[in-house]
Order: sequence, then C-alpha cells, then structure tokens
Amino acid sequence: MSCSPFDLKEYFLRELPSPQRVQVEAHVNHCPACREELERLQLTEAALFSLRDEEIPQRIAFVSDQIFEPSPVRRWLSGFWGSTARLGFASAAMLSASIFYFAATRPAPAPDRTAVTPVAAVSPSPQEVQQQIQQAVAQAVAAVEAHQAEKNKELVAYFERQSDETLRSVRWMAGELDAYRKRAQVTRVLAQAQPVGNAQPSENGDAK
Amino acid sequence: MIFRAVEDADLIRQATRGNVESFNLLVSRWEKRVYNYLLRITANREDALDLTQDAFLKAYQNLRKLDDPGRFAPWLYRIAHNEAYSMFRKRKPETDVDEIEPGATETQVTVGGSSVFPIELSLAVASALDRLSVDQREAIVLKVYQGFKFEEMAEILSCPVSTIKSRVYTALELLKIELAPMKARGLS
Repeated sequence: MSCSPFDLKEYFLRELPSPQRVQVEAHVNHCPACREELERLQLTEAALFSLRDEEIPQRIAFVSDQIFEPSPVRRWLSGFWGSTARLGFASAAMLSASIFYFAATRPAPAPDRTAVTPVAAVSPSPQEVQQQIQQAVAQAVAAVEAHQAEKNKELVAYFERQSDETLRSVRWMAGELDAYRKRAQVTRVLAQAQPVGNAQPSENGDAK
Repeated sequence: MIFRAVEDADLIRQATRGNVESFNLLVSRWEKRVYNYLLRITANREDALDLTQDAFLKAYQNLRKLDDPGRFAPWLYRIAHNEAYSMFRKRKPETDVDEIEPGATETQVTVGGSSVFPIELSLAVASALDRLSVDQREAIVLKVYQGFKFEEMAEILSCPVSTIKSRVYTALELLKIELAPMKARGLS
C-alpha cells in the first residue's frame, strides 16, 4: 500500500495534473518505499518497451477511381445526412413543409347549400349570427314542410287513382254479374217452356 | 502535437470532400501504430495486416460521420478494436471473447529489428502479455504502447473510466511482479 498523497500508478501513467505531480515527486524524494515502488513500475515499463514496434509488412493505400467515387451531389447529400445537427434541421424543415402542404391541400368541408346561407366575410355581431341561424332554421323547416306537403299530395293522388280503378273494377264486376243473371233468367225461362212442348205429343199418343 | 492535430483535421476535411490522396497521407501517418496495436492484441501478423486494412477502409467509408476531426485517433482505434473483436467472434462464436487467447494458437510475438535488450527479456514480455486476459492486454497496449488517456480508452473500448483504470492497474501489477525483477537483473 502506497503512502503517497496521490496514486503512484496514476502518476506513473501520466494521468495526474501538474500540481499533483509535483506533490507526488516531493513525496517520493523523502519516502524510500514509494520511491522503490515507482522504480519497479519504471522497470516494468522499460521491460515492456523491449518489445519494439514492427514495421507494417505492406503499405496501405487507396486508389481514386472515378467510377466508384460518389458524385459531388451524392457526397454533399451523404455529408448532409451524416450530420446530426443538419439531420435535425432537415427533419424540422420537412415537418414544416408537410404541415403547410396539408393545410394548403386539405379539402374544406362542403356546406349544406339548402340550409346554410353564405356568411359575410366581415365578422357579424352575435345578434346577426342569431338572426342568420333563425333564418336558416326557418328556411330549412319551410323546405322540409314543402317537401312533406309535396309527398302528401303525391300520396293522395296515388290513392285516388287506386280507388278509381277499384271502383271501375267493382262496376265492371256488377255489370258482369247483372249480365249473368239475365242469361240465367233466359235459360230458366226457356227450360220452363221446353217441357210443355214435349208433353203434348205424349198426351196425343195416350189419346190414340 | 497541436500543429499535427490541425494537420490531421485538415486532411480529414479534404478526404471527406473526396480527396483520396489526403486520406492516403492520413493512413501513412497512422498505419504503423494501428498495425502494432492490432498485432499485440491478435499476436498474428497476417490478421493484424488484414484488420488494419479493413479498419482504414471502414474509416474512409464512414469519415463523414466523424463530427469532431480532433477525435480522429480514438475514433480510428475504436474501429480497429471492433474489427478485431468481430474477427475473434467469427473464429470462436461460442466462446466468450475474454476467454480467447490469441497467443495460445499463434506463434508468439517476437522482437522486431535489432534490440539493445536481451532476447530473453523480449520473449518474457511477450509471454507475460500473453498471460493477461484479452481486456487487460488491450488496456496495456492502448495505455503504455499507444499512449492514450483513460478517457480516450473509455471511448475506444466503450467502457467506464473506472473499468479502464481497474484493467490497467491490475495488468500493470501482474506485469510488474513478473518483469521488474527480470529487468533489474538485466540492468545490473
């Protein structure tokens, strides 16, 4: 366990700010244990650096090829979309544009032309609004009543036509019935007259 | 260092406008470091080279998504890290990535070029690194060899800084126990 005012490893790894480094150095000068610990860390680092960096066996390089290079427009677009701030701005702009587009192209609700009168462009007073509403209601009621009266008239005419036809049918049937009765009466009369004619020869035969 | 960062930022801006040569210049500055990072976590030269190429290709394709050109290094290493772990998963899909020990199946990393240090020490270092878990080894590679800050490592590895510190400190403790005495003997 180190008695240094700050972590010796942090000092050794160059993570301490300057004022604290100075304090550690002052402490190490007077503390054999911490000095020894620091020396061991330095020996470890020196041992680690015995492993040298190697040269890369093959240099890396990229070749510019116009076929595979994106066009300036695509590069700009890619850069634009790649940026968070710009993406946020673009999103806000698209949202605004879509709101304006929706507001401009949304179809207005179709007014009921029979019941609603055109409203003046100037904002009317509450009394005028009330009057217009009453007027509109009265017009609507009158239109409904007129429509209903017309319907009733049509129904009456229909039933009258129906009753006329029924009456004609009844009259025709009565005429037919009357004619049948007459025919039946004639038949009966003839039937009564026939037996009289037939009885005379018989009576004549009986007389022989 | 700041001047270099500005230059990198300029190259990135030019590369995003389609200038391939600017990106090639950027690659030439970073390829050795990225290759060695991948070499130390895969322990295989062919894999490291393939992954380096894939990482730079992905970086080129996604360069426009890099909002802050000043964060190019952690962003590039993040891509390289993802490529390496993707390869680990493909090779051992049913094994937890932490259990994968690249050094166990591949030849161990050897010393590159001439060294003033004894060859035994280099082999001992390679062996000690191999005995660390994948996470600990990667943490040591990023911190000691690549010189990243804890915050940058947290960005590369998608971990909290506390986790990164824990991995580095534990790995450093293990390496210290094994390597410090050997190095002391070598110096004496």
